[in-house]
Amino acid sequence: MNWLRIREFVRKEFIQLFRDKKNRPLLIIAPLIQLLVFGYVVTTDVRDIKVAFLDQSHTLESRRLIDAFDANRTFRITRFTNQSKELEQALLKRKVDLAVKVGPDFGEHIRRGETAFIQILADGSMSNMAAVRVAYTSLVLDRLNRAFIEELYPEKIEYGKIDARIRTWYNPNLDSRNFYVPGIVAVLIMIITLLFTSMAIIREKEAGTIEQLIVTPLRPIELILSKTIPYIIIAQTQMVMVTIFAIFWFSIPMKGSVLLLFAATVLFLLSTLGIGLFISTVSATQQQAMMTTFFFILPFFMLSGFVFPIANMPTVVQWLTYLNPLRFFLTIIRGIFLKGVGLEVLWPQYLALTVLGLIVFTGAVSRFRKRLD
Amino acid sequence: MSLINIKAIARKEFYHLIRDFRSLYLAFIIPLLLIFLFGYALSLDVDNIKTVVVDHDKTPLSRDFIRKLNASSYFHVTNHLIDAQNAIDYLDKGLANMAVVIPSGWTEDIKADRETSLQVLLDGSDPNFAGLSRGYITSFIEEYNRRQLIDFLDRKGKNKIKPPVEGRIRVWFNEDLESRNFIVPGIIAIIIMIVGAILTSLVIAREYENGTMETIRSLPVRGGEFLLGKAIPYFFIGLTDVLVAVFMGQILFGVIMKSSFWLMVLASTIYLWVALSLGLLISIGTKSQLVANQLAILITYLPSLLLSNFVFPVSNMPEFLQMVTYLVPATYFIDILNGLYLRNLGLNHLWPSYLVLMGMFIFLSIMNLVMLKKEGM
Repeated sequence: MNWLRIREFVRKEFIQLFRDKKNRPLLIIAPLIQLLVFGYVVTTDVRDIKVAFLDQSHTLESRRLIDAFDANRTFRITRFTNQSKELEQALLKRKVDLAVKVGPDFGEHIRRGETAFIQILADGSMSNMAAVRVAYTSLVLDRLNRAFIEELYPEKIEYGKIDARIRTWYNPNLDSRNFYVPGIVAVLIMIITLLFTSMAIIREKEAGTIEQLIVTPLRPIELILSKTIPYIIIAQTQMVMVTIFAIFWFSIPMKGSVLLLFAATVLFLLSTLGIGLFISTVSATQQQAMMTTFFFILPFFMLSGFVFPIANMPTVVQWLTYLNPLRFFLTIIRGIFLKGVGLEVLWPQYLALTVLGLIVFTGAVSRFRKRLD
Repeated sequence: MSLINIKAIARKEFYHLIRDFRSLYLAFIIPLLLIFLFGYALSLDVDNIKTVVVDHDKTPLSRDFIRKLNASSYFHVTNHLIDAQNAIDYLDKGLANMAVVIPSGWTEDIKADRETSLQVLLDGSDPNFAGLSRGYITSFIEEYNRRQLIDFLDRKGKNKIKPPVEGRIRVWFNEDLESRNFIVPGIIAIIIMIVGAILTSLVIAREYENGTMETIRSLPVRGGEFLLGKAIPYFFIGLTDVLVAVFMGQILFGVIMKSSFWLMVLASTIYLWVALSLGLLISIGTKSQLVANQLAILITYLPSLLLSNFVFPVSNMPEFLQMVTYLVPATYFIDILNGLYLRNLGLNHLWPSYLVLMGMFIFLSIMNLVMLKKEGM
């Protein structure tokens, strides 16, 4: 292997990549834009539940119900109406998330020691958030109930209540950002390396310059290295950039070792570059290469636990996720960033990434060499 | 405008597609894969929270609490551990999502009305999951409290006490609270963007790269005819994909459209044309397939996924990004899909979104023609 030759070809690759003026911002600005957008956008927190209220009772008791919702930070009563129809329209038009209807005999029932029913309609269209809204609603009602009971039967109470101290680990404020931002870099690296390696090679094929490369004294393995090393450099640069941005702009805690993070990146790149090479051997045009890349990227993305929890998937699909390098890389990144764990916990993921990477990369390389011969 | 010219260009583009057989079948396979994944494998709902408990109290009350916790539909008690450190290990390794630690003397404290607390540890690393879990556990405890109090009063008093307030909570639009019901329609918007914008972003750039743009310029074909001819094959692929997605969603996953099918076809058609013109615009602007492709992912695919109220609610975003969402075509399309699929709305409610999409299409078409004119067509 002649490193001098490889160095020159890497340089050629960089010149080609940056000669196209439109490529420059794409390599540097695009990851930052994506990071920013993801950082700000990707939350499924339930913060501000908008409520429409219909109070037909107008009693002290119904007032207390309204106050109970008002006092809770998560709820915000945005409109009071007098008609059922209006209430339902507000829900239908997505003006509110929750509609509460209090009947005329609400106060009377409570004072008589009977159960007063109220009607609550919840917008279920985003089911995950709706489930939280429903849980919070019953929480408000249960607390109010307790208050009512204590007042109705004051002499009898000598019974404490269970008070839960809920602590959320790894991400105490349940900040979605802490979860998603570190993961973005993994997704970015995957997209960039997969697309660029496969398309860069296909472009040489389409332009006919691959023939020229073959007649140069460059050996196949050197050709492969000179085609992949630029993307390893770019990916690592992006990793550094995004990590710095995540820590200083989004104040994501970085609890673990940076070195381990970079080691994992290299292992992950083995797989993605391997797949990129593989795609370049099976595609004839850039359009084909791109579609094939998508065919890999989409399932990798969906089945990685980046947005959709793996635990929710059917067992068969859960098994499939073990073939997904992104899954392991994400676990490592999140483990290092949020939990601050090291190799003692993450060694299975590192091992899996290594094994997957070696298989994919050597497989792709041998296929690529055959194609060249 | 000459139909013959359009047909000729469309046929040429169609031959490109046929010859590039894999691109063609991937244009059908990828949407199928997406629908299948989303319908079958991916869910944002949480219903089986793996819980470990540490019971230092060991009284009938603590055992009853644990039993009720396990019996509730959201929690599944997997292990009883001896101390809190053990439980933390479980969380660290991801073997449990939640740990409940009951302190010793808990029951006595409760009976004596002394302050006492139950410790709940949640794995917060997935905020969607943790948010749901926190909601469920808080409301579970509050309900348990209420029941305890009523039991206590029942034991003391003569007659049974009824809870004063009871909420009859009904969920509308997605009665079973299945995330599939809003994700499968949303995925149609993503599919259209992939097929419509990303695939077409390559078609004119390709002509530039191969140098065939010169030939086309010298043909007696006008800009509009050229664009239409380029777009038509992809329009048919896109529309087929939409129909397949709708039927698959309905037949395999029971995601049923409540409103009119034809309104859906109309909306998809307009949105597909928006996507196609966006793809062509990128293609003319960049003249390089690699750049076009990157740019298309950046300005069509990602915003459709992130800035469109698809999975991530716009109301949670900062003001500035909320403004940006108004520029994303998928926002309006997903609004329409949500109305048609879940809310059973008709044109009388949804017309503004249809109108905006139409407007976007017209604007993008004009942009396309202007750009082509500059290029000498």
